[in-house]
Amino acid sequence: MSETTNLLVSRHLKNPNKTSLTPYIFILLPIAYLTLVMFWPLLQEIVISFKDTKLMEPNGGEFVGFENYRRLLANNELSSSVWITILYTATTVVSSLVLGVISALALDIPFRGRTVARSVMLFGYAVPSVAAILVWSWMFNDRSGVLNSIADGLGMTSQKWLTSPELALWSVTMVTVWQVTPLVMLVVLAALQSVPSEVKEAAQIDGADGLNVLRSVTIPHIRPSITLVGLLVTVWTIRRFEVVYLLTGGGPSKSTNILVVGLRQTAFENYHLGEAAVFGVIGLILAIILVTASELLKKMRDL
Amino acid sequence: MTSLTFDRITKKFGDATIIDELSAEVDDGEFLVLLGPSGCGKSTLLRLIAGLTDVSDGRLLLGDELANDWGVHRRGVAFVFQTYALYPHMRVSENISFPLVMERFKPWHHIPIVNFFARRAISRKPEVTKRTEEIASQLGLTDLMSRRPASLSGGQRQRVALARALVRDPSLYLLDEPLSNLDAKLRTQMRSEITELHKKVQKTFVYVTHDQVEAMTMATKIIILDKGEVQQIGSPDDIYARPANTFVARFVGSPPINLLPVIASKQQLSSARQIWTHPGPVPTAESLLLGIRPEKLRLSASSQCKLSARVEIVERLGAETLLGCSLEQTEAPADSVISDDRQNRIFVRIPDNPKLQVGDTCYIDYSPDDVTWFDGARGNRIDDASRPI
Repeated sequence: MSETTNLLVSRHLKNPNKTSLTPYIFILLPIAYLTLVMFWPLLQEIVISFKDTKLMEPNGGEFVGFENYRRLLANNELSSSVWITILYTATTVVSSLVLGVISALALDIPFRGRTVARSVMLFGYAVPSVAAILVWSWMFNDRSGVLNSIADGLGMTSQKWLTSPELALWSVTMVTVWQVTPLVMLVVLAALQSVPSEVKEAAQIDGADGLNVLRSVTIPHIRPSITLVGLLVTVWTIRRFEVVYLLTGGGPSKSTNILVVGLRQTAFENYHLGEAAVFGVIGLILAIILVTASELLKKMRDL
Repeated sequence: MTSLTFDRITKKFGDATIIDELSAEVDDGEFLVLLGPSGCGKSTLLRLIAGLTDVSDGRLLLGDELANDWGVHRRGVAFVFQTYALYPHMRVSENISFPLVMERFKPWHHIPIVNFFARRAISRKPEVTKRTEEIASQLGLTDLMSRRPASLSGGQRQRVALARALVRDPSLYLLDEPLSNLDAKLRTQMRSEITELHKKVQKTFVYVTHDQVEAMTMATKIIILDKGEVQQIGSPDDIYARPANTFVARFVGSPPINLLPVIASKQQLSSARQIWTHPGPVPTAESLLLGIRPEKLRLSASSQCKLSARVEIVERLGAETLLGCSLEQTEAPADSVISDDRQNRIFVRIPDNPKLQVGDTCYIDYSPDDVTWFDGARGNRIDDASRPI
């Protein structure tokens, strides 16, 4: 082994000015890939957001400065869309984290049929998204949906789950939470497996009751995992498209018009690529703010 | 003040019996060592005492009270884990004061926001901070109070674990191989520190180890376990001088006791290789094991009536020398029943540094008073050499 090392060292010493190309080739590949599929489109999006590009002529359009931004802000469409996105994301993240952590804690307790329960809990994540959402849209149906049948059966009034502007966002959020929670649960459950049982026992001996063991040992141990999955779910929810698109298409009366759905509508129904790009840029800024904030929080905690 | 009584304690995991009808009594203030090879059930027994595992059958008494169904906390024990089990996200001071905080924690403190302030308030109470600092200075941790466990060395973590156990002043201390993760030098140091601690607090200690040196140096009473069964209960001296059976004899003492299978006819002993006259009384039995500690054997110059052996191993330790010898084949085997495995190398521990080399012949002598006889078949000690078993 030492011979090989010596050989390598001596080769470097002999030609101190000649640097090997190999490491750069390794870096070049991902850079090329990312440029092609990420940085370039991103740049295009930002550029287009300052042009009056139309769908019929994607490469054309004149620079109009902040005209697109100004127009969208003027008719409130963009700001309400940002607000809806934030509300949708925040509700989804908080609910799925709470539900995911609770169900992971429950599934960490040994009981009969735990394995079955774990698999059942993962269904929401395993079913293809579009299929699941279509099933949900049947369940939400005003007349024949199972949700209203249950409500009727229980003597409650039927709801217009997807067709009333007050309720639609909550219905959409519910489906998203249903989809995302299993992932949270899975990650947290994995973290829970690695909580050292001796530390829990030590806490018990030191007089901690169940809740205190949870608070003093378990939660601190799984906190990094929760933070990570929370960040992932946040970013994914900001750009999550299919749930809202398939269930409400952004309606009724734009009450579920999250940024990505607004983007699609502006681009492919209003044929205005320039304005659509503005939605994309705002979404990007939102995501960057959140990621930066969470990194800063992490640094502050480490200090 | 707590004495401890095991009354036919049995522990099963499924079909596997880990501890089988164990009975023993431990007086208040005693330093009990549970000694045995790994898998003998000693750690399980400790967990039973702490209440971390349920007793399958039998009675466990703390003081005079039946404690089988007591919760972990009610038993009021301190437990030092082999892996220390410190709270990784807490500072050393928080680790040590945790039991005190929990003692003063009220159920309504669980209310989310109240919790945060309640904990802070409790951990800043003068009685808590004073006690924490007191223990920390006792164990030399004062400079480390704001560090987290990850940045501590093994020895320091060990001290924090001990401090956390001590801070509450419990009546029973349980220690599960607390020194096994330390290096040899630190282990010796901590050994004497724990012994000192026991003398100072005068509480009952139960200490689990597989290291017979720890057991011999620290214990006032040793329980030797093998396969979930008690092999012997007694003081260290007792166990060393009068081992109940060959397992105990072999387990305690390093190098282990010499066990020589022999057949006796009156005072004539025949092993697989040599026949000699034993200078004392010999039990009358079919087959016997002659047990003698390495340090009780002597080398002698002449060949008169002594065992002759070939030196195979010489370990010079400076103050003393360890010889591994095998008996020379001077007689045809008297009886093929006597096993002659190579395990039967005879170890001799002598002071100073003799000029023996590997391959030399030496003559080994012993005094009949130093011999412990064991029943060849069952391995039990034969007490009275003159009485038939």
